[in-house]
Amino acid sequence: MRFLQRFNDNQQPQGSSDGDPGSDGLLLQLRSEGDSLLAAGDEAIRRALAGSNSEAFLRTSRQQGGE
Amino acid sequence: MNTHSTTNAALELLPRLCGADIELGNFIVGDERAGGTGYEASRALLAEIDGLPLRHAGYVNNWWTAPSPAPRAAYSLPSGSGATAGAWAYNPQDVSRRFLLSNGGCAYIDLDHVELCLPEVIDAFDHVAAWHGMLRMMKTALDSANQKRPSNRKIQVLVNNSDGQGNSYGSHLNFMISRRAFDNIFWRKAHYLQFLASFQISSILLTGQGKVGAENGRPATPYQISQRADFFETMQGPQTTFNRPIVNARDESLCGRSTMNDPSAPTRLHVIFFDSALAHGSALFRVGPMQLILTLLELGLVNSRLILDDPLAALYNYSRDPALQASAELINGEQLTLIELQSAYLEEAKRYAAQGVFEGVVPHYEQILALWEDAVNSFAKQDFMAAARRGIDWVLKLMAIERSMDQQAGLDWSSPEIKVIDHLYSSLDNDGLYWAYESGGFTEPLVTPQRIAHFAVNPPQDTRAWTRAMLLRRAAPDSVFSVDWDTFTFRLRGKHNWPSYRTFDLSNPLGYTQAEAQHIFESTDDFAQLLDALESDSTERTLTADAFCRSLNNEEKTK
Repeated sequence: MRFLQRFNDNQQPQGSSDGDPGSDGLLLQLRSEGDSLLAAGDEAIRRALAGSNSEAFLRTSRQQGGE
Repeated sequence: MNTHSTTNAALELLPRLCGADIELGNFIVGDERAGGTGYEASRALLAEIDGLPLRHAGYVNNWWTAPSPAPRAAYSLPSGSGATAGAWAYNPQDVSRRFLLSNGGCAYIDLDHVELCLPEVIDAFDHVAAWHGMLRMMKTALDSANQKRPSNRKIQVLVNNSDGQGNSYGSHLNFMISRRAFDNIFWRKAHYLQFLASFQISSILLTGQGKVGAENGRPATPYQISQRADFFETMQGPQTTFNRPIVNARDESLCGRSTMNDPSAPTRLHVIFFDSALAHGSALFRVGPMQLILTLLELGLVNSRLILDDPLAALYNYSRDPALQASAELINGEQLTLIELQSAYLEEAKRYAAQGVFEGVVPHYEQILALWEDAVNSFAKQDFMAAARRGIDWVLKLMAIERSMDQQAGLDWSSPEIKVIDHLYSSLDNDGLYWAYESGGFTEPLVTPQRIAHFAVNPPQDTRAWTRAMLLRRAAPDSVFSVDWDTFTFRLRGKHNWPSYRTFDLSNPLGYTQAEAQHIFESTDDFAQLLDALESDSTERTLTADAFCRSLNNEEKTK
C-alpha cells in the first residue's frame, strides 16, 4: 500500500477545487519542485539502506521507557 | 458557555508562557549488550554538556532527588563522564541535572535518556528556535562524545518517542495557565477536560512524527500518524510512565509554593501528549494552537460540541489512518474525520480571534492562525506535498519511507530496513533524514538560522530564563548550591568567612526579564550586592494575574 500515491491520484482531477484557473499549473509546478527537493534525502536513504544489518541496528536501539 | 465579557479581565492577559522537557533516544550502535546501552550513552552525552550546579562527592541534591543510598563505587562510570561523577543522588528519573549558562534551560538523565529542558518562552516561534537551538547544542555534545569513542561504538541519538519495541519516552510541553483554569480542567468542569483532550487528539494531524507499526499490545498497522498514540490508556491522571493519560494532571507549578489557594495565581499545565517534532511546522503546531485553545479554556469559551464521545478510541483510529478517512463520533452523534475535527477547532480559534480574545496574550496569534489554516487546508485538499513542505513531520517521514520502497525492491512495511528509516528520520547525527530535507530546502523554515543560533547560546529576553542564565554566568561556579526553575540557593561567604546559604526567588515566570534586570546586573560587580539589588527591585515576588495586569499598566504609562 502506498498512502501518498493514493492521495496524489485522488487529487489529480480536483486540482482546481478552489476555482482558481491557474491553480492546476501552480500545483504541478509545486509538485515538480517538491519532487526534486525530495531527492535531497535520497542519498541519505541510500546510505541508510546500505548500512549495517538492519535487524541488529533495531536490536541495539532498544530503550528504557521514560519520562 | 460563558462569554468573553463575563470573564476576569486579569486572567485574559496572562500570557501562555511555554517550556518543554524532551527526552531523546540514545544508544550505542552495534552493541547488543543485555539491558541495552542507554545507561552508558546517556551519561557519555551528558558529560559533554556544561552546567551548574557542579557536582561534588557527597553532594545532597535538592528536592527532586534524595541522597544516594548507594556508594558511588557501586556504579561503573563510563569513560568521559567525569562531569557527572558524584552526582548519584538516587532518583533514576532525575540524574545529574544541570542548568545551562547559555540559554537558561537544563539537561539531565531520565531513566537512561538524555532529557533537554527548554527555557521558558512566550512566543511560539521562539519555542521553535529555542528547540532547534537546543538540538544544535546536543549535536555538538554528540560529536564531542563520539570523538572520544572507538569507531565501532558510536552513540546514536534519536529525536523520537518510541523504540518500536514497546518503550516510549516523552516530549513534554509546559504551559502557564491560572490555577482557576487548572482546577476547572481537572476538578470542576469535566467538559473542559474533554474539550482539551479532543483538541489534543485532533492535533496529531499537524504534530505527529509518524511511526512504522504498532506497540503496547495494539493491533498491527503499517504506519501511524502519532508515535505516542499506542501508549495512551486513560483520559487524565498525574502519572507519566504507565497508564499514560491524554491530559496529564501533574500539579507542580514551578512558580513558587504559595499558589494553591489563589485562583488567579499561575500554575503549570504539563502536557505529555505530543510527539517530538523535527520540522518547524510540527514544532510550531505543538505550541501555537495550544496557546490559543488554552486561552479559550481560560476564558471559559468551551464549545462542548467539539467533544469526542470516546477520545481514546478516536485517537487509536485516527492515528492508524494516514489516509485520513477515518471518522470518530462526537458526543452529539456527529461523525468527524481528523481533518474536520482539527478544522472545527481552528474555526473556533478564528472566531474568537476576530473578537480580539488573543490580543496581548498569544504573540503572533494572527500568524499562527494563518499557518494553522494553511496546513489544515493542505490536508483538506489532499495535497500531501504541500503539507510536507509546510513541515509536517509524519507526512515527510511517510514520503521518505515510500521513496525507500521505490529505491529498493522487495521492501515492505514489515521490512526491518523500513523501521530503520523510521528511526533515522529523527537521527540527530549526519545520517538524519530530516536534516537532509531541511538543508536541501524541502521544508519551509519558520525561524531563521540566526534566531536558532541565538537561542543555542542565549536565553529568551522576556522571561525569568534571562536572569537565570545571567546569574549562572555571574556566580562563582562553586557557589551555586542548587538551582530549580523558580529558585536558586547560593553558598556565599558570610561573617568570618563562614559559608552562608542564600536563597533567591524566581517564582514569577514573567519577571526578571532582560528589560527589568539588565541594568541591575550592570550596576555592581559584587555578587551579594547583585542579589540584594535584584530582590529590592522586585515589587512582585509571586506573580498573580492581577499583579501582571498592574505591571502591564505601569509599563504602558511609562511609554
